[in-house]
Amino acid sequence: MAVALVSKSERDYIKTSLQTASPLRADGRSLLDFRTVLLETGVAPLANGSARLNIGKVAREGGGGTDVLAAVKLEVEDVESGDGVDGGRVACSVTCSPSAYSHLSSNALDELQHDLTVILQQTIAHRSLHPSNLTIIPGRKAWLLNIDAVVLADSGNVVDALFMAARAALWDTKVPRTRPVEYRAPESSRATEKETQDSMDVDQGTSGFDTRDMARDAADFELPDYWDEGEVLHGRERWPICVTLNLLPPIHLLDATLTEEASIPLRLHLMFSFPPSTPPILQAIRLSGPGELDLAYVKSCITDGEKYARELFSALESKLREEDLRRNTKARDRFSSLR
Amino acid sequence: MISFASFPSTSEAYGRYGNTRHHPDVEDDVHMDLDEDDFEENVQRLTVPGESITSSHAFMRGHGTYVDNDEVIASVAGTVERVNKLITVRAVRSRYNPEVGDLVVGRITEVQPRRWKVDANSRQDAVLMLSSVNLPGGVQRRKLESDELQMRTFFEEGDLLVAEVQAFFSDGAMSLHTRSLRYGKLRNGQLVTVPPILIRRLKSHFVSLPCGVDLILGLNGYIWVSKHVKQSEQEGEEGFDAEAVYSNKNDDIDEATRAAISRVSNIIKILAAHFVPLTDSVLLEAYEWAVEQESSVKDLLLDDVGENLVASLGSGLRQ
Repeated sequence: MAVALVSKSERDYIKTSLQTASPLRADGRSLLDFRTVLLETGVAPLANGSARLNIGKVAREGGGGTDVLAAVKLEVEDVESGDGVDGGRVACSVTCSPSAYSHLSSNALDELQHDLTVILQQTIAHRSLHPSNLTIIPGRKAWLLNIDAVVLADSGNVVDALFMAARAALWDTKVPRTRPVEYRAPESSRATEKETQDSMDVDQGTSGFDTRDMARDAADFELPDYWDEGEVLHGRERWPICVTLNLLPPIHLLDATLTEEASIPLRLHLMFSFPPSTPPILQAIRLSGPGELDLAYVKSCITDGEKYARELFSALESKLREEDLRRNTKARDRFSSLR
Repeated sequence: MISFASFPSTSEAYGRYGNTRHHPDVEDDVHMDLDEDDFEENVQRLTVPGESITSSHAFMRGHGTYVDNDEVIASVAGTVERVNKLITVRAVRSRYNPEVGDLVVGRITEVQPRRWKVDANSRQDAVLMLSSVNLPGGVQRRKLESDELQMRTFFEEGDLLVAEVQAFFSDGAMSLHTRSLRYGKLRNGQLVTVPPILIRRLKSHFVSLPCGVDLILGLNGYIWVSKHVKQSEQEGEEGFDAEAVYSNKNDDIDEATRAAISRVSNIIKILAAHFVPLTDSVLLEAYEWAVEQESSVKDLLLDDVGENLVASLGSGLRQ
């Protein structure tokens, strides 16, 4: 995305290293190797779901690697007043920390943020992925799902990192349970209107709130849960991941570092969704950088990309389940053992 | 192909260090202020930010300190230094503090009239004047107006170069020069960055390892790892190609050399992550260890391999 400065000889060195019979990258990885990915969910206590992700952190160092923080916040929107959409909507935004791109001017940084936001928004907010439980009261209230991602540091492959972090945050999201309520004037209050004089101390009866099942003409809702329990987003297995192929025909490499990105400007982003027990769906595809590709080559890239995305997906999936386990079962065990 | 892991836990560290308890007698020692004679012993004292160093009545605050409640307090982590009554803290991690005569590796960021701006990991960009570079066609050649117009044929944005700190400007920016045949544009290799404090001052910062790899250890923490230049082709010898000084073309590099360059780069990264100061002997020992282990270049970056590597360093470290 943001191009780091590299000299011509560095660029040439990287390219020729990749094009030898046994391609070698600067840090010794093979073409399809990812750097180690660190992931933690539930990092933002005030968000409904959050995740922090780092690709290629230097061991024992404070910094290093591409660092992305993603958080999901649910907000109530009024459908009748025209703010919201019936069924809820999804809004994404990506912010890039100026410290991650210290060489960029603020205008260039805005452009980069906008580019990343568009990629994320167009893929994740697509109708085919829309979760079905964002409705609160049909036709009246709905949840607005905000996904905010911050790029804290960039050392390459930021788009893949963004999608993985967004997927982890969405996976982690809990939608608060709601119960529709209606305000109805108590029967007795109308009846007592005329006999107020003679019976001042009459019991006013129940409150105006009635919380029995009245989904049809409900005016408002309440949260039955005490704390931040809730149910997960429906169809959370479907959220897409992105795999970026850095193309140097006839080869391609995954998880490029900044210098590699600067040396190989042509990139193909493939966003795949893997719904359980159905074939994978290519949700989005985006080619960036100069140059053109013929269709047959793109096709073969997509076939390969699906394979890589499948591996990436299953690794991420097992890590997410492990995180769920860590935060629920293990935390509970530790808490009970302390008492 | 891909592996996930968790962030290193911070809670354990808190548990161990967060609430360190001391014996009451020891506690006094821990919180004791520095007296005048503490400085006499010539022991290096380390501080952390917020730690009180001494009273501000007796001493003056210098860089890396501030005064609060009549006390001089460290604002950075580092070693305490004293010159007469001036207390300074030299930060462990900081940008490069240039000194005249230092060898640095830098990258051109901007081409300006009669000068280049060079990123050298310092607080300000360094300046390389057109008058302090060797122009092709002889050392004694005069600068012409046409040279000013074709500065990009010598260095352009992004180019890496090795240079020496010549002087300082009044605002503290350093001025570089490349008026030696050893200095100039860099080719045939890759750059590794480490904290500047890890580069010791050595007899020579041009190191050549027996595995066919040359290193230029810039004092600013930029290290250039490249293919070995044969003795007969070094500057001053017959094989030296004066025309190639400003060339952007790489030589042909065989795969074994490329692998060696990657391996050396990874070793440098590991040593930097473990905060081991880099000298030629340490690097040599580490390289021999890595070759002995017959591990692949990529495996070097694994955590336990790195720890074993650092543990294997014996004699080189003590020098």
